Amino acid sequence: MQPFILEATDRTPRIEIIPELGRIALSGESFPEDAATFYGPVIDAASTMVAQAKTLAIEFSLIYVNSSSMKALYRLFEVMDERRASGECSTEIIWTHESDDDVMQELGEDFKDRFPELSFKILATE
Amino acid sequence: MQIQSALEVRQMMLRDGVIMAYNGEISDELMVTLAEILRNRFKTMGDNQKRARSVFSIFMEQVQNMIWHAKSGDRSGGMIMIADKDDQVTLICGNRVTKDQAQELRLTLETLAAASKESIRQMYRDGMSKSAEHEGPGAGLGLLQIARNSSTPLSFAFSDAGENVVEYFLAAHIV
Repeated sequence: MQPFILEATDRTPRIEIIPELGRIALSGESFPEDAATFYGPVIDAASTMVAQAKTLAIEFSLIYVNSSSMKALYRLFEVMDERRASGECSTEIIWTHESDDDVMQELGEDFKDRFPELSFKILATE
Repeated sequence: MQIQSALEVRQMMLRDGVIMAYNGEISDELMVTLAEILRNRFKTMGDNQKRARSVFSIFMEQVQNMIWHAKSGDRSGGMIMIADKDDQVTLICGNRVTKDQAQELRLTLETLAAASKESIRQMYRDGMSKSAEHEGPGAGLGLLQIARNSSTPLSFAFSDAGENVVEYFLAAHIV
């Protein structure tokens, strides 16, 4: 599987899915006009990679996530959590937020709450 | 319309500290343009960045709700007003919904208005888990996101405007 990379736009995050590194990274803003259309291929590529991964290093550093993007992000976590449950893959998630952005900090905590068995670090950046 | 009406509207807006007002059809592109203008305004005012982010987030969710409601009815568009006065930012959106939608919104908003920040957060988490089942684009999380970003409980109003038409207004405040 080839790496899947989308450059950031004003309203969509940069997305990297790199199978040989087991890496999925999303950074930037997320308010696409049509979240289902934008995230469909992302979820597909991530699912394909995750299904074969032995280790996963996941990074989120998002600024604003609209409610329409939440369905897709939640689905992404489900995919990772299903793989974790198989016992064949070690997963580490790093969620970073700007130090004064308690909304994004709380969103990280919300995901952590929903997926308590995923290894999950929430870090503040300057 | 007489020019006097416009003068009165303008005076009312100046009195209430309105910094942005829009009435009419709204598109996705227009929403983003207005949201960026707002965000930049609060960013460059040297205001705290938290406020700029909250204003942006509430505005986006309000207008996305408005666009979503417009899709299910024949009346598109609505009204958006943002005021900045006495160190409080108020964002109000108004649009037309059906009687059924109004009823459902009223129940949700009454629950939200009476809920603590902590229980709103719990509702949000439960909503995340159910996001896949929700038919709307916002996964049912839009109002909860607005409520989380608002400094005070959301206020709202409904006003009958015809056979099966209700004007729906929602206000959020940031201090």
